[in-house]
Amino acid sequence: MPILKVENIKKSFGPLEVLKQISFEVNKNDVIAVIGPSGSGKSTMLRSLVHLEELDGGSISVNGNYIVKDGIYSKPQQLKEITSEMGMVFQHFNLFPHLTVVENLELAPKLLKKGSAEQTRELSMELLSKVGLSDKADVLPSKLSGGQKQRVAIARALMRKPEVLLFDEPTSALDPELTGEVLRVMKDLAQEDMTMVVVTHEMEFAKEVANKAIFMDKGEIVESGSPVDLLSNPQMERTKAFLYRTLSK
Amino acid sequence: MSIDYFISILIPMLEGARATVLLFLIAIIVSIPLGFLLTLIVRSSIKPLAYLANTYIYLMRGTPLLLQLLFIVFGLPLIPVIGEYLVLDRFTAACLGFILNYAAYFAEIFRGGLLAIDKGQFEAAKVLGLNRWQTMRKVVFPQMFRIALPAVANESVTLVKDTALLYAVAVPELLHFAQTAVNRDFTITPFLLAGVIYLIITLCLTLFFKWLERRLRFD
Repeated sequence: MPILKVENIKKSFGPLEVLKQISFEVNKNDVIAVIGPSGSGKSTMLRSLVHLEELDGGSISVNGNYIVKDGIYSKPQQLKEITSEMGMVFQHFNLFPHLTVVENLELAPKLLKKGSAEQTRELSMELLSKVGLSDKADVLPSKLSGGQKQRVAIARALMRKPEVLLFDEPTSALDPELTGEVLRVMKDLAQEDMTMVVVTHEMEFAKEVANKAIFMDKGEIVESGSPVDLLSNPQMERTKAFLYRTLSK
Repeated sequence: MSIDYFISILIPMLEGARATVLLFLIAIIVSIPLGFLLTLIVRSSIKPLAYLANTYIYLMRGTPLLLQLLFIVFGLPLIPVIGEYLVLDRFTAACLGFILNYAAYFAEIFRGGLLAIDKGQFEAAKVLGLNRWQTMRKVVFPQMFRIALPAVANESVTLVKDTALLYAVAVPELLHFAQTAVNRDFTITPFLLAGVIYLIITLCLTLFFKWLERRLRFD
């Protein structure tokens, strides 16, 4: 059974249909790269998975539990429990600027009373070391580079031990020389069998790390399949045009 | 001019400065939390309450503080029937006027601070599982206060100077004693001295807020 199942989701902003009947599945250990031009609805799609966007129709379920079924959302408490299976990493990091790195990681577990203070500290230090930032634990985010901020954000998302980790253009706000360190952390996660859905413009990353790629345009999934096939040998005109534009840049 | 004269006017003026500082402290200590509360009410989902709070802020910011002070001190007792119960000690009445007025300004300042917070902060908190109140308490308010701090500092300096309005409702404070001495002795010294005392108070305040801003810096 897939971990995450998305069926015919729809959303409009006024007259603009940003998601038109999108369906796909995420299985355990999948790394799915979602690519497409800006305005194609890929971020909206990803954000709707954790209820940052309200859908007009369709269903999303995690391990068989519905976040939304045929456009009707579950009760808030249930919704919260189901979405807690997912972590999210944002384009602009969204670290809490008034808290140190380790406080950023521990705020939610402490407020939600998940485990003892010692357990939380142990986990936060373990995750900081995993993203290579043990020495930055007591530093404020403003003292970090963009790449370091994003690695902290990844560690923060991992604190809940999510079943699926969602990335919304995690390297788009970074200087080119800083994308490598973030992609490396993501690659490590993939190797540890983390299930991930990544909205990205990094074609090399998609080819190298993802096991499935989805191409979206104008609110639809135009084409999906193995990243190498999709990127090297696209079948659809729109995919070809997009890749041609992207690669010729 | 003799040192003796200088001291003879300085003592009552320091006495007056005490009233000035006392009014300032009472007004700021009560109006900041009250202003914060107003901000919360303005943003609350209970629409009639939000509407009331907005009207209140509009009234307080839309009319002169001097008029409000005169209204509370001299106006309230003139109201038929209940007026006689509304005769307050003048200093108390003045405190009330300043608190009510400044709370409205602080509410606007805090609202500005809230609007300046990136919506990504709310989204990150939501995705991490924080509820609305946890998000406000741990993520939003600390940032809001920090963002609002320079404006709060500015408003506080204005408050110090506005205490001179007590002159109009005949509460003895710094300016009152200066004016009395000028009238009596026909010399400009008391005005200069009053100016210096105001400057010292605002300087202390400015330094305090600069220190606070540095301490709470996170950007």
